[in-house]
Amino acid sequence: MTGLLDYQPGSSPLHKAHPLVKLLLAVAICVCGFLADSIYINIIILLLIVLCGARCGLARQIRATLKGMGALCAILFILQLPFIGSGRVWIDLPLGMTVTDQGVRFCAQLCLRLIGATLPLVMLFAVTRLSDLTNTLVAQLGIPYRYAFVLTTAVRFIPVLLGEMREVIEAQTARGVELDVGVLRKIRLIPPLCAPLLVSCVQRMENNALAAELRGFYLRKRGSGYRRYPLSGVDYAWIVSCVILLTISIIL
Amino acid sequence: MIRLDNISFKYAGSEAFALRDINISVGAGEFVGVIGPAGAGKSTLAQALSGVVPHVRRGDFYGAAWVDGSDTVNTTPAELARSVGCVFQDVESQFATTMVEDEILYALENFSVPREDMPERVNQALLDMGIGDLRERSLFSLSGGQKQKVALAAVMALAPKLLVLDEPTGELDPKSSVQVLRLLQLMREKRGTTIVIVEQKIMLLCEFADRLIVMDKGRIALDGSVRELLNQPDQLLELGVNCPRVTSLAARMKARGWTNREPPINIPEAERMVREAIS
Repeated sequence: MTGLLDYQPGSSPLHKAHPLVKLLLAVAICVCGFLADSIYINIIILLLIVLCGARCGLARQIRATLKGMGALCAILFILQLPFIGSGRVWIDLPLGMTVTDQGVRFCAQLCLRLIGATLPLVMLFAVTRLSDLTNTLVAQLGIPYRYAFVLTTAVRFIPVLLGEMREVIEAQTARGVELDVGVLRKIRLIPPLCAPLLVSCVQRMENNALAAELRGFYLRKRGSGYRRYPLSGVDYAWIVSCVILLTISIIL
Repeated sequence: MIRLDNISFKYAGSEAFALRDINISVGAGEFVGVIGPAGAGKSTLAQALSGVVPHVRRGDFYGAAWVDGSDTVNTTPAELARSVGCVFQDVESQFATTMVEDEILYALENFSVPREDMPERVNQALLDMGIGDLRERSLFSLSGGQKQKVALAAVMALAPKLLVLDEPTGELDPKSSVQVLRLLQLMREKRGTTIVIVEQKIMLLCEFADRLIVMDKGRIALDGSVRELLNQPDQLLELGVNCPRVTSLAARMKARGWTNREPPINIPEAERMVREAIS
Protein backbone atom coordinates (compact mmCIF):
# COMPACT_ATOMS: atom_id res chain seq x y z
CA MET A 1 0.00 0.00 0.00
CA THR A 2 1.32 3.43 -0.90
CA GLY A 3 1.76 6.19 1.68
CA LEU A 4 0.00 9.51 1.95
CA LEU A 5 2.67 11.50 0.11
CA ASP A 6 3.49 8.83 -2.46
CA TYR A 7 3.05 9.52 -6.13
CA GLN A 8 0.00 7.76 -7.49
CA PRO A 9 0.24 7.12 -11.24
CA GLY A 10 -2.75 8.24 -13.27
CA SER A 11 -3.91 10.01 -16.40
CA SER A 12 -6.15 12.71 -14.98
CA PRO A 13 -5.80 16.34 -16.15
CA LEU A 14 -3.91 17.11 -12.95
CA HIS A 15 -1.50 14.23 -13.55
CA LYS A 16 -0.84 15.51 -17.05
CA ALA A 17 -0.24 19.11 -16.02
CA HIS A 18 3.26 20.58 -15.96
CA PRO A 19 4.91 20.02 -12.53
CA LEU A 20 5.48 23.74 -11.97
CA VAL A 21 1.89 24.51 -12.93
CA LYS A 22 0.74 21.99 -10.35
CA LEU A 23 2.97 23.63 -7.78
CA LEU A 24 1.59 27.05 -8.73
CA LEU A 25 -1.96 25.73 -8.49
CA ALA A 26 -1.36 24.24 -5.04
CA VAL A 27 0.23 27.45 -3.75
CA ALA A 28 -2.52 29.59 -5.31
CA ILE A 29 -5.26 27.56 -3.62
CA CYS A 30 -3.47 27.78 -0.25
CA VAL A 31 -3.10 31.56 -0.63
CA CYS A 32 -6.75 31.91 -1.72
CA GLY A 33 -7.88 30.14 1.43
CA PHE A 34 -5.99 32.60 3.60
CA LEU A 35 -7.00 35.67 1.57
CA ALA A 36 -10.72 34.91 1.62
CA ASP A 37 -12.64 36.84 4.27
CA SER A 38 -15.88 34.95 3.90
CA ILE A 39 -16.19 31.49 5.43
CA TYR A 40 -18.38 30.54 2.47
CA ILE A 41 -15.47 31.09 0.09
CA ASN A 42 -13.40 28.72 2.25
CA ILE A 43 -16.16 26.13 2.11
CA ILE A 44 -16.41 26.49 -1.68
CA ILE A 45 -12.62 26.18 -2.07
CA LEU A 46 -12.58 23.06 0.09
CA LEU A 47 -15.44 21.51 -1.86
CA LEU A 48 -13.68 22.29 -5.13
CA ILE A 49 -10.47 20.67 -3.88
CA VAL A 50 -12.32 17.55 -2.72
CA LEU A 51 -14.25 17.24 -5.98
CA CYS A 52 -11.13 17.79 -8.07
CA GLY A 53 -9.17 15.26 -6.00
CA ALA A 54 -11.91 12.65 -6.23
CA ARG A 55 -12.07 13.20 -10.00
CA CYS A 56 -8.31 12.51 -10.17
CA GLY A 57 -8.60 9.25 -8.23
CA LEU A 58 -7.23 10.65 -4.98
CA ALA A 59 -10.20 9.82 -2.76
CA ARG A 60 -8.02 7.73 -0.44
CA GLN A 61 -5.49 10.52 0.09
CA ILE A 62 -8.27 13.05 0.68
CA ARG A 63 -10.00 10.78 3.20
CA ALA A 64 -6.74 10.13 5.05
CA THR A 65 -5.85 13.84 5.14
CA LEU A 66 -9.32 14.86 6.31
CA LYS A 67 -9.16 12.21 9.03
CA GLY A 68 -5.74 13.34 10.24
CA MET A 69 -6.47 17.05 9.95
CA GLY A 70 -9.94 16.57 11.48
CA ALA A 71 -8.44 15.49 14.79
CA LEU A 72 -5.92 18.35 14.79
CA CYS A 73 -8.59 20.90 13.84
CA ALA A 74 -10.92 19.66 16.57
CA ILE A 75 -8.20 20.25 19.17
CA LEU A 76 -7.41 23.69 17.72
CA PHE A 77 -11.11 24.57 17.65
CA ILE A 78 -11.64 23.62 21.31
CA LEU A 79 -8.49 25.38 22.50
CA GLN A 80 -9.13 28.59 20.58
CA LEU A 81 -12.89 29.01 21.02
CA PRO A 82 -13.17 30.12 24.71
CA PHE A 83 -10.59 32.87 24.27
CA ILE A 84 -12.47 34.86 21.61
CA GLY A 85 -14.77 37.20 23.47
CA SER A 86 -16.08 39.40 20.66
CA GLY A 87 -19.54 38.86 19.17
CA ARG A 88 -22.86 37.65 20.55
CA VAL A 89 -22.39 35.45 23.60
CA TRP A 90 -23.93 31.99 23.24
CA ILE A 91 -22.51 30.26 26.32
CA ASP A 92 -20.82 31.66 29.44
CA LEU A 93 -17.94 29.57 30.69
CA PRO A 94 -16.01 29.70 34.01
CA LEU A 95 -13.03 32.08 34.41
CA GLY A 96 -14.68 34.70 32.21
CA MET A 97 -14.44 32.63 29.06
CA THR A 98 -17.26 32.60 26.55
CA VAL A 99 -18.47 30.93 23.40
CA THR A 100 -19.54 33.59 20.91
CA ASP A 101 -20.89 33.53 17.36
CA GLN A 102 -17.80 35.31 16.05
CA GLY A 103 -15.59 32.89 17.95
CA VAL A 104 -17.26 29.89 16.36
CA ARG A 105 -16.98 31.46 12.91
CA PHE A 106 -13.33 32.42 13.41
CA CYS A 107 -12.37 28.97 14.68
CA ALA A 108 -14.31 27.21 11.94
CA GLN A 109 -12.65 29.40 9.30
CA LEU A 110 -9.23 28.72 10.81
CA CYS A 111 -9.85 24.98 10.53
CA LEU A 112 -11.13 25.30 6.98
CA ARG A 113 -8.05 27.35 6.02
CA LEU A 114 -5.75 24.78 7.58
CA ILE A 115 -7.40 21.90 5.74
CA GLY A 116 -7.59 23.99 2.57
CA ALA A 117 -3.84 24.63 2.78
CA THR A 118 -2.90 21.00 3.47
CA LEU A 119 -5.05 19.18 0.93
CA PRO A 120 -3.61 20.88 -2.19
CA LEU A 121 -0.07 19.97 -1.09
CA VAL A 122 -1.02 16.35 -0.43
CA MET A 123 -2.67 16.25 -3.85
CA LEU A 124 0.36 17.90 -5.46
CA PHE A 125 2.66 15.11 -4.28
CA ALA A 126 0.10 12.45 -5.19
CA VAL A 127 -0.05 13.59 -8.82
CA THR A 128 3.59 14.67 -9.30
CA ARG A 129 6.74 12.57 -9.32
CA LEU A 130 9.24 14.16 -6.96
CA SER A 131 11.94 13.79 -9.59
CA ASP A 132 9.79 15.78 -12.06
CA LEU A 133 9.39 18.50 -9.47
CA THR A 134 13.14 18.55 -8.79
CA ASN A 135 14.01 18.57 -12.48
CA THR A 136 11.66 21.42 -13.33
CA LEU A 137 12.77 23.50 -10.35
CA VAL A 138 16.35 23.08 -11.57
CA ALA A 139 15.94 23.25 -15.33
CA GLN A 140 13.18 25.84 -15.61
CA LEU A 141 13.41 27.96 -12.47
CA GLY A 142 17.20 27.79 -12.27
CA ILE A 143 17.21 26.72 -8.62
CA PRO A 144 20.57 25.08 -7.78
CA TYR A 145 20.20 21.28 -7.83
CA ARG A 146 21.32 20.83 -4.24
CA TYR A 147 18.49 23.05 -2.91
CA ALA A 148 15.85 21.43 -5.09
CA PHE A 149 17.13 18.02 -4.00
CA VAL A 150 16.98 19.02 -0.31
CA LEU A 151 13.39 20.18 -0.77
CA THR A 152 12.18 16.98 -2.41
CA THR A 153 14.26 14.79 -0.11
CA ALA A 154 12.56 16.38 2.91
CA VAL A 155 9.19 15.38 1.45
CA ARG A 156 10.48 11.92 0.55
CA PHE A 157 11.67 11.34 4.09
CA ILE A 158 8.25 11.92 5.69
CA PRO A 159 6.88 8.45 4.82
CA VAL A 160 10.30 6.97 5.58
CA LEU A 161 10.26 8.47 9.07
CA LEU A 162 6.68 7.32 9.61
CA GLY A 163 7.78 3.81 8.62
CA GLU A 164 10.73 3.99 11.03
CA MET A 165 8.40 5.18 13.81
CA ARG A 166 6.07 2.27 13.11
CA GLU A 167 9.01 -0.15 13.31
CA VAL A 168 10.19 1.34 16.62
CA ILE A 169 6.66 1.08 18.05
CA GLU A 170 6.33 -2.52 16.87
CA ALA A 171 9.72 -3.38 18.38
CA GLN A 172 8.73 -1.82 21.72
CA THR A 173 5.33 -3.52 21.65
CA ALA A 174 7.05 -6.85 21.04
CA ARG A 175 9.11 -6.14 24.17
CA GLY A 176 6.05 -5.66 26.30
CA VAL A 177 5.40 -1.89 26.11
CA GLU A 178 1.62 -1.36 26.04
CA LEU A 179 0.79 1.46 23.67
CA ASP A 180 -2.92 0.73 23.25
CA VAL A 181 -3.85 2.16 26.63
CA GLY A 182 -5.53 5.48 26.03
CA VAL A 183 -4.41 8.75 24.53
CA LEU A 184 -2.81 10.30 27.64
CA ARG A 185 -0.69 7.24 28.48
CA LYS A 186 0.29 6.99 24.82
CA ILE A 187 1.44 10.62 24.86
CA ARG A 188 3.64 9.83 27.88
CA LEU A 189 5.07 6.70 26.27
CA ILE A 190 5.91 8.22 22.88
CA PRO A 191 8.81 10.61 23.85
CA PRO A 192 11.19 7.82 24.96
CA LEU A 193 10.61 6.15 21.60
CA CYS A 194 11.89 9.25 19.84
CA ALA A 195 15.52 8.55 20.84
CA PRO A 196 15.91 5.33 18.79
CA LEU A 197 13.96 6.99 15.99
CA LEU A 198 16.30 9.97 15.98
CA VAL A 199 19.39 7.75 15.94
CA SER A 200 18.15 5.62 13.06
CA CYS A 201 17.03 8.72 11.13
CA VAL A 202 20.41 10.43 11.44
CA GLN A 203 22.10 7.20 10.35
CA ARG A 204 19.75 6.88 7.40
CA MET A 205 20.27 10.48 6.31
CA GLU A 206 24.04 10.11 6.52
CA ASN A 207 23.90 6.94 4.42
CA ASN A 208 21.59 8.64 1.98
CA ALA A 209 23.92 11.60 1.55
CA LEU A 210 26.85 9.25 1.09
CA ALA A 211 25.01 7.18 -1.51
CA ALA A 212 23.99 10.32 -3.40
CA GLU A 213 27.60 11.50 -3.45
CA LEU A 214 28.79 8.13 -4.72
CA ARG A 215 26.28 8.37 -7.52
CA GLY A 216 27.52 11.71 -8.79
CA PHE A 217 25.35 14.15 -6.83
CA TYR A 218 27.94 16.94 -7.09
CA LEU A 219 28.42 16.39 -10.82
CA ARG A 220 24.80 17.15 -11.72
CA LYS A 221 24.28 19.93 -14.25
CA ARG A 222 21.23 22.03 -14.93
CA GLY A 223 20.46 20.44 -18.28
CA SER A 224 21.47 16.85 -17.56
CA GLY A 225 17.96 15.62 -16.72
CA TYR A 226 16.46 13.03 -19.05
CA ARG A 227 12.89 14.26 -19.19
CA ARG A 228 11.82 17.49 -20.87
CA TYR A 229 8.87 19.52 -19.64
CA PRO A 230 7.33 21.76 -22.30
CA LEU A 231 4.28 23.86 -21.33
CA SER A 232 1.10 22.90 -23.22
CA GLY A 233 -2.04 24.91 -23.97
CA VAL A 234 -3.81 23.22 -21.06
CA ASP A 235 -1.00 24.35 -18.76
CA TYR A 236 -1.57 27.96 -19.79
CA ALA A 237 -5.28 27.45 -19.08
CA TRP A 238 -4.36 26.24 -15.56
CA ILE A 239 -2.19 29.33 -15.05
CA VAL A 240 -5.06 31.62 -16.10
CA SER A 241 -7.34 29.75 -13.68
CA CYS A 242 -4.85 30.40 -10.87
CA VAL A 243 -4.82 34.13 -11.64
CA ILE A 244 -8.65 34.26 -11.74
CA LEU A 245 -8.90 32.34 -8.46
CA LEU A 246 -6.46 34.67 -6.74
CA THR A 247 -8.25 37.75 -8.07
CA ILE A 248 -11.65 36.51 -6.85
CA SER A 249 -10.20 35.76 -3.41
CA ILE A 250 -8.70 39.22 -3.14
CA ILE A 251 -11.91 40.93 -4.27
CA LEU A 252 -14.23 38.89 -2.04
CA MET B 1 42.55 -2.23 -11.32
CA ILE B 2 43.12 -2.18 -7.55
CA ARG B 3 46.38 -1.88 -5.67
CA LEU B 4 46.43 -1.46 -1.92
CA ASP B 5 49.91 -0.95 -0.46
CA ASN B 6 50.20 -1.39 3.29
CA ILE B 7 46.80 0.10 4.04
CA SER B 8 45.93 0.64 7.68
CA PHE B 9 42.95 2.60 8.90
CA LYS B 10 41.65 3.63 12.29
CA TYR B 11 38.26 5.35 12.61
CA ALA B 12 38.34 8.77 14.29
CA GLY B 13 37.88 8.32 18.03
CA SER B 14 38.70 4.64 17.90
CA GLU B 15 41.78 3.02 19.38
CA ALA B 16 41.66 -0.16 17.32
CA PHE B 17 42.61 -0.41 13.66
CA ALA B 18 39.72 -1.42 11.41
CA LEU B 19 42.21 -2.27 8.65
CA ARG B 20 45.80 -3.30 9.31
CA ASP B 21 48.64 -3.76 6.81
CA ILE B 22 46.41 -4.62 3.87
CA ASN B 23 48.24 -5.48 0.65
CA ILE B 24 46.06 -6.49 -2.26
CA SER B 25 46.39 -6.35 -6.00
CA VAL B 26 43.35 -7.09 -8.13
CA GLY B 27 43.62 -7.27 -11.91
CA ALA B 28 41.03 -5.99 -14.39
CA GLY B 29 38.17 -8.45 -14.83
CA GLU B 30 38.83 -10.40 -11.64
CA PHE B 31 35.93 -11.62 -9.50
CA VAL B 32 37.02 -11.42 -5.88
CA GLY B 33 35.00 -12.53 -2.87
CA VAL B 34 35.74 -11.11 0.58
CA ILE B 35 34.62 -13.15 3.56
CA GLY B 36 35.28 -13.18 7.27
CA PRO B 37 33.55 -13.00 10.64
CA ALA B 38 31.60 -9.93 11.78
CA GLY B 39 33.91 -7.02 12.63
CA ALA B 40 36.74 -8.36 10.48
CA GLY B 41 36.93 -5.14 8.44
CA LYS B 42 35.19 -6.33 5.26
CA SER B 43 32.87 -3.33 4.93
CA THR B 44 35.70 -0.91 5.76
CA LEU B 45 37.76 -2.49 3.01
CA ALA B 46 34.86 -2.05 0.58
CA GLN B 47 34.55 1.58 1.64
CA ALA B 48 38.28 2.13 1.16
CA LEU B 49 37.88 1.01 -2.47
CA SER B 50 35.13 3.55 -3.10
CA GLY B 51 36.93 6.43 -1.39
CA VAL B 52 34.37 6.63 1.42
CA VAL B 53 37.31 5.78 3.67
CA PRO B 54 39.00 8.19 4.40
CA HIS B 55 37.00 11.02 2.74
CA VAL B 56 33.63 10.49 4.43
CA ARG B 57 34.30 8.02 7.21
CA ARG B 58 37.22 9.91 8.65
CA GLY B 59 40.15 8.62 10.63
CA ASP B 60 43.87 7.87 10.40
CA PHE B 61 44.69 6.40 7.02
CA TYR B 62 48.12 4.94 6.26
CA GLY B 63 49.50 3.48 3.05
CA ALA B 64 48.45 4.02 -0.55
CA ALA B 65 45.31 2.89 -2.34
CA TRP B 66 45.06 2.97 -6.13
CA VAL B 67 41.81 2.27 -7.93
CA ASP B 68 41.71 2.44 -11.73
CA GLY B 69 44.88 4.50 -11.68
CA SER B 70 43.57 7.06 -9.16
CA ASP B 71 44.96 7.55 -5.69
CA THR B 72 41.85 7.30 -3.51
CA VAL B 73 43.27 9.74 -0.97
CA ASN B 74 43.70 12.49 -3.55
CA THR B 75 40.52 11.73 -5.50
CA THR B 76 37.04 12.54 -4.21
CA PRO B 77 34.47 9.74 -3.96
CA ALA B 78 32.38 11.58 -6.58
CA GLU B 79 35.27 11.47 -9.06
CA LEU B 80 36.03 7.85 -8.20
CA ALA B 81 32.36 7.03 -8.79
CA ARG B 82 32.97 7.50 -12.52
CA SER B 83 34.69 4.14 -12.53
CA VAL B 84 33.57 2.54 -9.25
CA GLY B 85 29.99 1.45 -8.64
CA CYS B 86 28.98 0.63 -5.07
CA VAL B 87 26.07 -1.05 -3.36
CA PHE B 88 26.28 -1.05 0.40
CA GLN B 89 24.49 -3.16 2.99
CA ASP B 90 21.55 -0.87 3.73
CA VAL B 91 20.09 -0.51 0.25
CA GLU B 92 17.00 1.36 1.34
CA SER B 93 18.94 4.36 2.58
CA GLN B 94 20.78 4.54 -0.74
CA PHE B 95 17.71 5.52 -2.70
CA ALA B 96 17.61 9.12 -3.88
CA THR B 97 14.17 9.09 -5.49
CA THR B 98 10.76 7.51 -4.95
CA MET B 99 10.15 5.59 -8.19
CA VAL B 100 12.04 2.63 -9.66
CA GLU B 101 12.62 4.21 -13.07
CA ASP B 102 13.73 7.51 -11.53
CA GLU B 103 16.17 5.69 -9.28
CA ILE B 104 17.93 4.12 -12.25
CA LEU B 105 17.91 7.39 -14.16
CA TYR B 106 19.29 9.31 -11.18
CA ALA B 107 22.97 8.42 -11.53
CA LEU B 108 22.80 8.46 -15.35
CA GLU B 109 21.58 12.06 -15.18
CA ASN B 110 24.19 13.05 -12.61
CA PHE B 111 27.01 11.68 -14.75
CA SER B 112 25.55 13.40 -17.83
CA VAL B 113 25.20 10.19 -19.82
CA PRO B 114 24.01 11.18 -23.34
CA ARG B 115 20.24 11.57 -23.26
CA GLU B 116 19.68 9.24 -26.21
CA ASP B 117 21.54 6.41 -24.42
CA MET B 118 19.50 6.61 -21.24
CA PRO B 119 16.35 4.66 -22.25
CA GLU B 120 18.44 1.74 -23.51
CA ARG B 121 20.55 1.69 -20.35
CA VAL B 122 17.49 1.81 -18.10
CA ASN B 123 15.72 -0.92 -20.08
CA GLN B 124 18.78 -3.15 -20.07
CA ALA B 125 19.38 -2.74 -16.33
CA LEU B 126 15.73 -3.54 -15.55
CA LEU B 127 15.76 -6.49 -17.92
CA ASP B 128 19.03 -7.87 -16.56
CA MET B 129 17.73 -7.80 -13.00
CA GLY B 130 14.37 -9.24 -14.07
CA ILE B 131 12.42 -6.29 -12.66
CA GLY B 132 10.96 -4.82 -15.85
CA ASP B 133 7.48 -5.05 -14.33
CA LEU B 134 8.50 -2.82 -11.41
CA ARG B 135 9.46 0.13 -13.61
CA GLU B 136 6.51 2.35 -12.66
CA ARG B 137 6.32 1.21 -9.05
CA SER B 138 7.03 3.30 -5.98
CA LEU B 139 10.15 2.22 -4.07
CA PHE B 140 8.13 2.31 -0.85
CA SER B 141 5.89 -0.46 -2.12
CA LEU B 142 8.69 -2.96 -2.87
CA SER B 143 9.85 -5.91 -0.80
CA GLY B 144 13.40 -6.04 0.59
CA GLY B 145 14.58 -8.31 -2.21
CA GLN B 146 13.04 -6.13 -4.90
CA LYS B 147 14.70 -3.06 -3.40
CA GLN B 148 18.04 -4.82 -3.49
CA LYS B 149 17.54 -5.63 -7.17
CA VAL B 150 16.66 -2.00 -7.91
CA ALA B 151 19.82 -0.80 -6.11
CA LEU B 152 21.88 -3.23 -8.18
CA ALA B 153 20.16 -2.24 -11.41
CA ALA B 154 20.85 1.44 -10.66
CA VAL B 155 24.57 0.72 -10.33
CA MET B 156 24.73 -1.64 -13.29
CA ALA B 157 23.13 0.95 -15.57
CA LEU B 158 26.27 3.03 -15.08
CA ALA B 159 28.44 0.19 -16.43
CA PRO B 160 31.31 0.89 -13.99
CA LYS B 161 34.77 -0.62 -14.45
CA LEU B 162 34.82 -1.77 -10.85
CA LEU B 163 31.85 -2.96 -8.85
CA VAL B 164 32.15 -3.01 -5.06
CA LEU B 165 29.25 -4.79 -3.42
CA ASP B 166 28.74 -5.17 0.30
CA GLU B 167 26.46 -8.14 0.93
CA PRO B 168 24.32 -7.52 -2.14
CA THR B 169 22.28 -10.67 -1.63
CA GLY B 170 21.58 -10.08 2.06
CA GLU B 171 17.83 -9.76 1.55
CA LEU B 172 17.46 -12.03 -1.45
CA ASP B 173 16.12 -15.57 -1.52
CA PRO B 174 18.53 -18.31 -2.70
CA LYS B 175 17.20 -18.29 -6.27
CA SER B 176 17.50 -14.51 -6.62
CA SER B 177 20.96 -14.61 -5.00
CA VAL B 178 22.20 -17.00 -7.68
CA GLN B 179 20.52 -14.85 -10.35
CA VAL B 180 22.38 -11.76 -9.12
CA LEU B 181 25.74 -13.53 -9.00
CA ARG B 182 25.16 -14.95 -12.49
CA LEU B 183 24.45 -11.49 -13.73
CA LEU B 184 27.63 -10.16 -12.16
CA GLN B 185 29.54 -12.97 -13.84
CA LEU B 186 27.93 -12.05 -17.14
CA MET B 187 28.94 -8.41 -16.67
CA ARG B 188 32.46 -9.51 -16.02
CA GLU B 189 32.51 -11.65 -19.17
CA LYS B 190 30.82 -9.11 -21.45
CA ARG B 191 32.33 -5.85 -20.20
CA GLY B 192 35.41 -6.98 -18.31
CA THR B 193 34.01 -5.47 -15.10
CA THR B 194 36.13 -6.11 -12.03
CA ILE B 195 34.00 -7.30 -9.14
CA VAL B 196 34.75 -7.19 -5.43
CA ILE B 197 31.99 -8.65 -3.37
CA VAL B 198 31.69 -8.88 0.40
CA GLU B 199 29.44 -11.81 1.13
CA GLN B 200 28.50 -14.19 3.92
CA LYS B 201 27.16 -16.91 1.64
CA ILE B 202 30.44 -18.70 0.99
CA MET B 203 28.90 -21.46 -1.15
CA LEU B 204 27.58 -18.80 -3.49
CA LEU B 205 30.98 -17.14 -3.73
CA CYS B 206 32.74 -20.44 -4.35
CA GLU B 207 30.61 -20.99 -7.40
CA PHE B 208 31.30 -17.62 -9.01
CA ALA B 209 34.46 -16.02 -7.60
CA ASP B 210 37.99 -16.62 -8.95
CA ARG B 211 39.59 -15.65 -5.72
CA LEU B 212 38.70 -15.40 -2.06
CA ILE B 213 40.09 -13.05 0.55
CA VAL B 214 39.45 -14.03 4.16
CA MET B 215 39.69 -11.19 6.64
CA ASP B 216 40.15 -11.38 10.38
CA LYS B 217 40.59 -8.52 12.87
CA GLY B 218 41.35 -6.02 10.11
CA ARG B 219 44.02 -8.16 8.49
CA ILE B 220 44.05 -10.40 5.48
CA ALA B 221 44.22 -13.88 6.93
CA LEU B 222 44.02 -15.88 3.71
CA ASP B 223 44.13 -14.89 0.06
CA GLY B 224 44.03 -17.30 -2.83
CA SER B 225 41.96 -19.10 -5.40
CA VAL B 226 38.72 -20.69 -4.25
CA ARG B 227 40.20 -24.19 -4.48
CA GLU B 228 43.33 -23.21 -2.61
CA LEU B 229 41.29 -21.87 0.27
CA LEU B 230 38.86 -24.75 0.36
CA ASN B 231 41.87 -27.02 0.74
CA GLN B 232 42.38 -25.40 4.15
CA PRO B 233 39.08 -26.14 5.93
CA ASP B 234 40.67 -26.16 9.39
CA GLN B 235 42.10 -22.65 8.99
CA LEU B 236 38.77 -21.41 7.64
CA LEU B 237 36.93 -22.85 10.64
CA GLU B 238 39.50 -21.33 12.97
CA LEU B 239 38.80 -17.93 11.40
CA GLY B 240 35.08 -18.36 11.98
CA VAL B 241 34.23 -19.06 8.33
CA ASN B 242 31.95 -21.99 7.72
CA CYS B 243 33.11 -24.23 4.91
CA PRO B 244 30.56 -25.23 2.31
CA ARG B 245 28.98 -28.57 3.14
CA VAL B 246 30.42 -30.16 0.02
CA THR B 247 33.92 -29.19 1.19
CA SER B 248 33.35 -30.64 4.66
CA LEU B 249 32.06 -33.82 3.05
CA ALA B 250 35.15 -34.01 0.83
CA ALA B 251 37.45 -33.47 3.82
CA ARG B 252 35.77 -36.30 5.74
CA MET B 253 35.90 -38.61 2.73
CA LYS B 254 39.55 -37.76 2.21
CA ALA B 255 40.34 -38.48 5.88
CA ARG B 256 38.84 -41.95 5.48
CA GLY B 257 40.76 -42.51 2.26
CA TRP B 258 37.64 -42.64 0.10
CA THR B 259 38.78 -39.97 -2.34
CA ASN B 260 41.88 -38.11 -3.44
CA ARG B 261 40.14 -35.43 -5.50
CA GLU B 262 40.48 -31.69 -5.05
CA PRO B 263 37.66 -30.36 -2.82
CA PRO B 264 34.51 -29.72 -4.87
CA ILE B 265 33.24 -26.15 -5.11
CA ASN B 266 29.70 -26.91 -6.18
CA ILE B 267 27.04 -29.61 -6.06
CA PRO B 268 27.78 -31.23 -9.48
CA GLU B 269 31.46 -31.64 -8.57
CA ALA B 270 30.48 -33.12 -5.20
CA GLU B 271 28.11 -35.50 -6.94
CA ARG B 272 30.87 -36.67 -9.27
CA MET B 273 33.20 -37.19 -6.31
CA VAL B 274 30.66 -39.29 -4.40
CA ARG B 275 29.78 -41.34 -7.49
CA GLU B 276 33.47 -42.08 -8.10
CA ALA B 277 33.93 -43.10 -4.46
CA ILE B 278 30.92 -45.42 -4.60
CA SER B 279 31.98 -47.03 -7.85
